[in-house]
Amino acid sequence: MHGPFKWSSKWWPGVIPLVVLWVVAAWTDTAPLESDLAAQSAAALKEIVLDKTRITVAGRDVTLGADAFSEQGRRSAVTSVEAVPGVRRVEDETHLVPEAKPFVWSAERDVVRVTLGGSAPLPASKSKLLEAARAGLGGVEVADQMNLARGAPERFDNAALLLIDQIGKLKDGKITISDDKVSLSGMARDIGGREAIAAALKNLPEGFSVAANEIKAPPYIFQAYKDPVAVTLTLSGYVPDNNAHATIAAAAARKFYSEKVVDNLKASVGAPGGFAAAVVPALGALSRLSTGTLVVSDREVKLSGDALYDAAANQIRAGLSKDFPQGFQFKADISVKPPSAPVDATVCQQLFSELLAKGTIRFESGRADILADSAGLLDGLIETALRCPAANIEIAGHTDADGDDASNKMLSEKRAQAVTDYLVKAGLPADRFTAVGYGSTQPVAANDTDEGKAQNRRIEFLVR
Amino acid sequence: MAFLLGFHWSWLLGSLLLGLAAGWIAVVHRGKRVSKELSRWLAALALVLVAAALTRVVPGRPGYWLDLGLSMFACYLAGCALGSCLRDWVLARGAPAA
Repeated sequence: MHGPFKWSSKWWPGVIPLVVLWVVAAWTDTAPLESDLAAQSAAALKEIVLDKTRITVAGRDVTLGADAFSEQGRRSAVTSVEAVPGVRRVEDETHLVPEAKPFVWSAERDVVRVTLGGSAPLPASKSKLLEAARAGLGGVEVADQMNLARGAPERFDNAALLLIDQIGKLKDGKITISDDKVSLSGMARDIGGREAIAAALKNLPEGFSVAANEIKAPPYIFQAYKDPVAVTLTLSGYVPDNNAHATIAAAAARKFYSEKVVDNLKASVGAPGGFAAAVVPALGALSRLSTGTLVVSDREVKLSGDALYDAAANQIRAGLSKDFPQGFQFKADISVKPPSAPVDATVCQQLFSELLAKGTIRFESGRADILADSAGLLDGLIETALRCPAANIEIAGHTDADGDDASNKMLSEKRAQAVTDYLVKAGLPADRFTAVGYGSTQPVAANDTDEGKAQNRRIEFLVR
Repeated sequence: MAFLLGFHWSWLLGSLLLGLAAGWIAVVHRGKRVSKELSRWLAALALVLVAAALTRVVPGRPGYWLDLGLSMFACYLAGCALGSCLRDWVLARGAPAA
């Protein structure tokens, strides 16, 4: 032995304290070393998109488990940990996330919650979808049953976010993306919801298409209630647009000659075709009832209430179905109001005058055809006539001063006769009525204004 | 290796000092020597352990402890060599004067 090693045979006594030192070093440093390496490995993986990352360190050896979303990502995860200073070996337990074929994602809504299911392409998009659902559905429980999978179509996130917005418009239902096909089913929350969803689907990202849209709309409901105590007609529910609203409000004002119209209607899309054309005759039928309710639900028209007399009930039951546009169904539940107590001739005259002060029997311009709008008023007059069966009544027709006297007299006679015929048809004896035409000889107002003329065009009931 | 040095410098320094002391004493020590045959066996054992460390065949914590032990032992040997040389040099300078 030469140099320093010639004394090496006497170096052994220090080995015993060295071993003690080694044991103490191993005892105190193993855990800090392992946690240091674990922290550094986790930091090295920060930039790489992985799921279910598990890092376990034994000594200087790292076991890395993770689900990667691409082969490149998987390899770079392993090399990043290998490059951490101090790491000796990396046990590679990484996997590629399975590929979903077809790539299916769904959002389902029931009474209490929204469940997001199927596959999401990346953890970031999964959390983005969850966050959007929670923010957009305010208060509704959102359950996450999404798995991660490869194979999502391009622009998947945008499509799913748009569809999450739509799930808020559903009462219940399911929206599914299968590859690039979107299917929807269920019931819209509000009137017009179905149309709003259909409009939103036009903004789906390029490449996506709607395979099936089976969203149903809630029933489109229109209601009218005639209240004889408050003397009101209350309209509620929906109308398709402002034009239909104006048409219906005007028809109600014409047909309900004494009631105040309370209009709570809202405009909304989603009405069945021919909606206004069905509601107007139905309101006419309601006007003939003493009290009643009209409900138009989609294409079903339900009328219930009390008619003033038997013949009116029969006319309403029989007559209405032919007035409706095709496809509408009419269901009438009409009973007859108990007859009012008989009155003497003076009271009868008073009742006629009161009724005719509130409304006028209306005819087609220049002709003797009674307009359907007057059915409610005529029913009131007939009911009154039934209460004084002994009284003979003169039905007097009057016109304004326009046109020559002879034709005015003729028209007033014809109109008085038309009213008489109407009463007889309702079951009153013909011999109680005398139809007389006075033309323009008995004006009640000046004939120089339209208003005055309208007051002069009238039918009067005079008890003789 | 740089990582081990950085992380365990205090223990390695301790081993070096321990070696320095053992080497310093060894020059004037009159105690038992390690026989040549045993030295060979010990050297062979050390080689096997170094080979095991370099090839990383020992997994997990035992592997780390082996690395740590060998690093400390290397520092100890270096300390011993340095210590013996220093003592020898000090003695050689002192002898002519005496």
